This record gives sequence, structure tokens and C-alpha cells, in this order.
Amino acid sequence: MTELATMDFHPQPQAGEARPWAFPAPERGALDNGLTVLRCHRPGQQVVAVEVLLDAPLDAEPDGLDGVATIMARAFSEGTDKHSAEEFAAELERAGATLDAHADHPGVRLSLEVPASRLAKGLGLLADALRAPAFADSEVERLVGNRLDEIPHELANPSRRAAKELSKELFPATARVSRPRQGTEDTVRAVDAAAVRAFYDRHVRPATATAVVVGDLTGIDLDELLGETLGAWTGSPAKPRPVPPVTADDTGRVIIVDRPGAVQTQLLIGRIGPDRHDRVWPAQVLGTYCLGGTLTSRLDRVLREEKGYTYGVRSFGQVLRSAPDGSGAAMLAISGSVDTPNTGPALDDLFTVLRKLAAGGLTDAERDVAVQNLVGVAPLKYETAAAVASTLADQVEQHLPDDYQATLYQQLAATGTVEATAAVVNAFPVDRLVTVLVGDAAQIKEPVEALGIGQVTVVPAE
Amino acid sequence: MRTAIAIEGTYMPMGHTATAEAGSGGLTATEHRLANGLRVVLSEDHLTPVAAVCLWYDVGSRHEVEGRTGLAHLFEHLMFQGSAQVKGNGHFELVQGAGGSLNGTTSFERTNYFETMPAHQLELALWLEADRMGSLLAALDDESMENQRDVVKNERRQRYDNVPYGTAFEKLTALAYPEGHPYHHTPIGSMADLDAATLEDARAFFRTYYAPGNAVLSVVGDIDPRQTLAWIEKYFGSIEAHDGKPEPRDGALPDVIGEQLREVVEEEVPARALMAAYRLPEDGTRAGDAADLALTVLGGGESSRLYNRLVRRDRTAVAAGFGLLRLAGAPSLGWLDVKASGDVEVPVIEAAIDEELARFAEEGPTAEEMERAQAQLEREWLDRLGTVAGRADELCRFAVLFGDPQLALTAVQRVLEVTPEEVQEVAKARLRPDNRAVLVYEPTPAADHAQDADAAQDADAAATDETEETAK
Repeated sequence: MTELATMDFHPQPQAGEARPWAFPAPERGALDNGLTVLRCHRPGQQVVAVEVLLDAPLDAEPDGLDGVATIMARAFSEGTDKHSAEEFAAELERAGATLDAHADHPGVRLSLEVPASRLAKGLGLLADALRAPAFADSEVERLVGNRLDEIPHELANPSRRAAKELSKELFPATARVSRPRQGTEDTVRAVDAAAVRAFYDRHVRPATATAVVVGDLTGIDLDELLGETLGAWTGSPAKPRPVPPVTADDTGRVIIVDRPGAVQTQLLIGRIGPDRHDRVWPAQVLGTYCLGGTLTSRLDRVLREEKGYTYGVRSFGQVLRSAPDGSGAAMLAISGSVDTPNTGPALDDLFTVLRKLAAGGLTDAERDVAVQNLVGVAPLKYETAAAVASTLADQVEQHLPDDYQATLYQQLAATGTVEATAAVVNAFPVDRLVTVLVGDAAQIKEPVEALGIGQVTVVPAE
Repeated sequence: MRTAIAIEGTYMPMGHTATAEAGSGGLTATEHRLANGLRVVLSEDHLTPVAAVCLWYDVGSRHEVEGRTGLAHLFEHLMFQGSAQVKGNGHFELVQGAGGSLNGTTSFERTNYFETMPAHQLELALWLEADRMGSLLAALDDESMENQRDVVKNERRQRYDNVPYGTAFEKLTALAYPEGHPYHHTPIGSMADLDAATLEDARAFFRTYYAPGNAVLSVVGDIDPRQTLAWIEKYFGSIEAHDGKPEPRDGALPDVIGEQLREVVEEEVPARALMAAYRLPEDGTRAGDAADLALTVLGGGESSRLYNRLVRRDRTAVAAGFGLLRLAGAPSLGWLDVKASGDVEVPVIEAAIDEELARFAEEGPTAEEMERAQAQLEREWLDRLGTVAGRADELCRFAVLFGDPQLALTAVQRVLEVTPEEVQEVAKARLRPDNRAVLVYEPTPAADHAQDADAAQDADAAATDETEETAK
């Protein structure tokens, strides 16, 4: 039963004339020390974003020292030849800046954000960190202890626990991608200042690094600023490291990580597929959005808006590692959490959605709405300097041309329903998916076995 | 309102352009009021072809009654289930299909709905917001109610019940605000109350609180203010004014709690934790800004006193910091969160914290600490105001909570004017053991947690970006 409203109704308005927007084109150059520089002036963006990429990938970590890249990344902001660890943190904050650093499969990345008025100060500190990090014994020891303390927190988090299990299942044990990015208790414990210094000496140098600077650069002489800061960083020349191929076993199977008493089951269903170098990428992006990009996509239409089993389930493709020759890979996955009693029915619905998609394909209407969203949101998505800098840095990290993102929008707009269907069906074949469930095995094992989506194995959470 | 102008019948532009004030970064906003009471704030910015629409309703979990906690948030979900001219999930479909993004959130003091659109699709967002403000009940039915009740219960499980320390915020809030106080419960509500809510509760809630006079609409970005105001008049102007809103229960409390409240939780968590909530001055006051600076010096970032003491020097904690829950209708909360390192016992950490807080009250901040804290808060403001959506939200916030949207544009200036003496004063008066609620986590000996875990930005695309309740 509903009630009538008392207001004047008007027909749905039509769109006005679209105003032109293009993904910003960066200007590419290099400093005398070999550092590659991408810059991009974004009027009005008072907080400048600087990203620095180092060719220090996780597969370069010595045997038994998984996590040394992470500790090195963190140690960059723990003192230099000019400042102690505490002073360095204080100086950064005095400049109104934040500096984050993390190590991932493709390399180590440092992200600085600083108000344009204090860019000189921020760049100076960033340059000091790269040029002359202290790597003091006591600080590295503290970072190792801190990292060891973090591990149990991550294990207790259902989504992180699921991600860890999926990597372990998909990739051969000898591949670095199969193991936790930030190391295990055993390997982190083995890291010390000497190991960090050795990793730095071997892999960190301006010749194989790139800096991306984005923001309102009005009145800033960036060449001079960079020359005085990152330009003072020296190092020997080196060739880029070769990229190891990524292979995975995507035989359909189910792994339950047992968390007795859990009120929800975290699910992560995945395999690997093509990265951005593959021509199928735009169609894969489009199809994956139609499957599980938002609340009105196929998965949530059923699992959330019809059944109420979940707060939301998403499908996505995330590049793991790319190579210049196109041999890289992306993780393709479906993720979300569903309440414990409905775990079986929810998974059943999820696989039914995939089967229906394979059988009937996407509709033109679905494709149109997806294109309009993916292309239309670009000016919103790239309003801030940080968002632009991050995408430009991703492109460099993935060996893509500087105009990749701009071109991608044209390709998305030109992708048809048939191509998008083929791409998403190939990305998520029902018999080639590894399903990880973090939940109460006593309650979910039986109903999941009954679905016939692969052999079910239970492993302890700890 | 500084320039509240009634607009009746045919549209007449009567916008008042405020002059750019120092510290506002050249941003300006104009204010208007429709005859039905809807307040409107417009702010032009033509740098990017986007426009943000933000609508704040002056209703949050503090308006809920006993036995119906979580209703404001559940209701927010229902606002996305269609209205007279918008079918089912049309709100999402139309906005996303137009290249826009959207969401809604519910807090203690307000519920907000927002769309960021490519500038040429602005009119669609206004039409959609007006349709649900004026005609939600034409579409609201049992089916949406039952479905969204399940969705919200799963939201609660995902964000609170199924994660370690997930219910800490709820427990600490319940300790910090006494039984019966409007802020005693958090916006997510209890499972029992979510189960008990009826369709009639939802209808009554809409009739009471979703009135044009109880809302502020802001539009920011690449807009033509005359045209925008004409559209607003066209779509919202005929929505009937109604005024049945009861005064919210008084949230006033004495400045200090007067004793230390404490709860020990024994649960399966990965490590011991010490959390605390200090009672602080209300948002929108100079003392509130001073408290923000005090918490930043003590526990913001990695050069703060507590971080240096606990994480760097004593090495007793994995993480230590202070946050501020800003509230206008009740005392704000200074939020301490410390996770213990290894086998360190809570009293060791607590003694160090008390020592640092006492020393700070005694000495006040150094000149350099003030500079750092002000620089950090300044950057946070630049970030907030750096996007059209952030600016639209802040304009609504200051209009709804403090009656003047222009205050949003000068907020950073006020933070920079606070003196070290004021910071010391608030620390001395408020950051005391007898003015806090403490929550201690002791892990149950369920298992030995000693393994590894993956991190970085793993495969977690968890759907936290749709309609969400925000508790902080």
C-alpha cells in the first residue's frame, strides 16, 4: 500500500550539452641523473601529489627475506643524513605533508602529498629519503618488530585472510606472487639493517626510477625545484629488471578457511587473466562492470537487492604485474561477504548468475549504461591531483604509454555488447574459478559441497 | 542564515554573492530559500566540468526513539528504493548511467545524500532528489522494507560484528553517553531494533523529518547559478512545506564526566587494546578547534607525542593515535586507540599515556608542535575543499549544524587563529582520567596467533561505497 504525493511532477530532464574533458596528458622529461619525470599542471589543485616509482619489485627480494622491500619502504621515512627519525616525521608534518611508501609486486612506490606553497620543503624531504636514508639499526629493528605485531591483526581480518589464501592457492609456491607481499613471521624476523641497506644498494637508483608531479604548479619553477632536490640523488646506471612470467592453477575448487562462530562468510572467487596490454582489456573492464561493478550490476541485483544476502558483492580486475612484452597478468575476482546461514544459497545464486551470463550474454542496455558510467565518471574520478598522479604512475609501472588512460576511454566507448560478453565470460568461466571462503566450516561446508563447484578443502584460520 | 531570501511563484534570481574572504581560497557561496523552507547554497567553480549536489536532512540517529535504533539509517537505504516517478533502483541506474556517482550516509546528527555529476547532467540529479523528497511514500512498500532490512543487517555484520574490535565504537559510545542520552546508541542500531522496525515506522519517519524546511541543498561546481536556481524552484518548489518535527532530546552534558568509566572486553581479538573516549567541547566552537589541535599534537600522525612515546621509544604499541568525533548537539569525543605490541600489558601503556597527557596539560604545546598541527589541519581542509563534492558537503554541514554555510569557507582560518594557550587550556580541563570512558580488550586464549598475512591493496573491493552508514 502506498500513498499519493502532493507535488507537481515534471518529466525526467534531458542532459545538456556535454562539456569537453580529456584525461590530462603529462609532459615527460628526465633529470641529469637519469630520473624520469612526468609532470602535469592541474589548476586549482592546491595539494600537490608526487609519486616516485622504484624498480625494486618483490621478486628481487633475496631468498628467505620476503618483506625486506616493505621494511625498506617504511624505513625511508625513518631518518636521513640530515634528520633523525623523529625529526624527519616532524619536518614532514611541519610542511603539512604526508609521505606513504609501500612495496608491491611491480616495485616500491612513495607517495607525497603537500600543499603547493610548501612543495619545495616536501620535495627536499622526499629527495633526502631517497638519496641518503639512514637505515639505522635501531629504527630497522623497531620496524621489524612493528611489522611482526601487525601480522596477527591482518590474519584476523576476513578479507585479508581470504586474499592471502587465494594467492597461495593460485600460484606455484616458488613464485613470489604466491606469498604475502609484506613477508611472513619467519622471513620478516630475518630482516635487519644490513639486509635493507643491501637491497637499497642493489635496486634503488635514479636511473631506473620515475617521479610523477601533479597539481597547481602556478608560479612554481619545477625544473629548478627538482634540480635542487631529486636532482641531487646519484647512483649508477642499470638496466630494468626482467619481469618473471605469472602462471596460475585455476582448477575449479573450494577452500574454506575455518573461523568457528563467524556470523558471515567472506568470499573471494578468482583466477588470473589478461592485463592492460591485451586488446581485450577494455571489453573485460566493461563486462566485469556489468557483472559486479555496482549495486545495479547482475550480482548485486540478485544477491543484495532481491535476496538481501549481502551488503554488496563486487567483481573486478586488478593488475598484478605487467611486462613490456605483454606477458603480465591481472587478478580477476569476485568478492564480498554473505551471512552464514545463507552462504550456500548465496553461492548458488552467484554461480547461477555466471551461468546465465555465459548462456544469454549481456544486453545492449546493460552495455550502454556501463559505458556511460565508466566513461562519464572520468572527470569526477580525476578531479584531484592525487588521482591523476596515481594513474600516471600505474601506467609507468605497467609499461604503458603516457596516453593509455585517454585512449582507454575511446576504446571503452567503441566496445560492443558481444565483445563485452565474450570478455567477461572468458574472465569468469564457472569451472575455472578458485573459491576461498573464510567462515564457519561446521555450518557452511555441507551446503557448499552440495553445489558441485569443486572439491572442498577446509584449512584452519591460524 | 546570512542572506535567506524567500523565493515565491515565478522564479526571480536574488542570489547574494558573498565576497571572497581571507582564507577561503577565493571560494564564494550564495544562499537562497524557497517558499516551502528549503534552504539552498550555490558555489561556482568552472575548473572541471563537474557539479556536486548535496542534500542534508537535519535528522540522524539522535532523533531515534527507544526500541527503534538504526531507523534513520535503514530509512536512508529506503530512499534508494524508488519514488513516484523513479522505479526500483532507478536512482542508482539513472545517476550512474549519466556518468555520475552517488551515495547517502547517516550519522548521529544528520543524513546526507549526494550526487557528483558531469556538469551537463546536473538537472537530472536535482529532479531525482526532488522526486524522493516529495513522493517517496508513493513507492515505499513491504518488499523494499524487508529486503533493505536484510541488507542493513548484513552491513552491520560485515562492518561491526565480523571484524576484530568491530563493536568498540558502539561500546565506547554507550559508555561515554549515559543511558537515555540521544547519542548513547550509534547510527547502525541494534539487530533487535532493526528487526522490530515496521513499514509504518518508516512512513512516520519520512512524514516527520523529510520536509523541505528540514533540509539544506547545496550545488557546487561548473554551474550557471541562475539556471540552477530555476531548476531547483521548478523541481522542489511545489513540495509542500510541513513542520511536524519534534525538538530532538537535549544532548547537553556537564563539561567533564567526573569519574573514569571502564569496561573490559574479553574477546577473540589479535592483541590487547586500550581505547578511550574523552568528553570534549562541542563542534563549531573555538574550544572545539583548540581540542582538535591538542589531539593532533598528542596523537595525530607519526610525530605526535603518543606515537613517539609508545611506538618509537617504549615500543609498547603497534599503533597509537587520537581522533576527533565532532558533534554539535552534544559534547564531542576525543578518540584514543592503542593496540598493544606483543605481550605488553595494558596498565603499562595506560600509565605512559597518563604521564604524557599530564605533561602536555602542564607544559602546553611547543611553538613547533603548534606549527605542525596547524599545517596538518590546513592540508586536511585543502583536501576537503579541493573537490566539488567535499565543498558541497561542508557547505551543508555548516548550514545545517551552525546556520551559516559561509563558515565552511573560513574554517581553516579559525583553526590557524587558535593560540597555544587555548590548546593547553582545553587539554588541562578535558584530557584527564576522570573525564574519559575506557575500553580494554583482553584476547581470549582461543589460539596462538603467529603466522603471516597478506596485505597491500589485495583483492578486497568490498562494497563499502554504496549506501553506507557512517559512524565517524
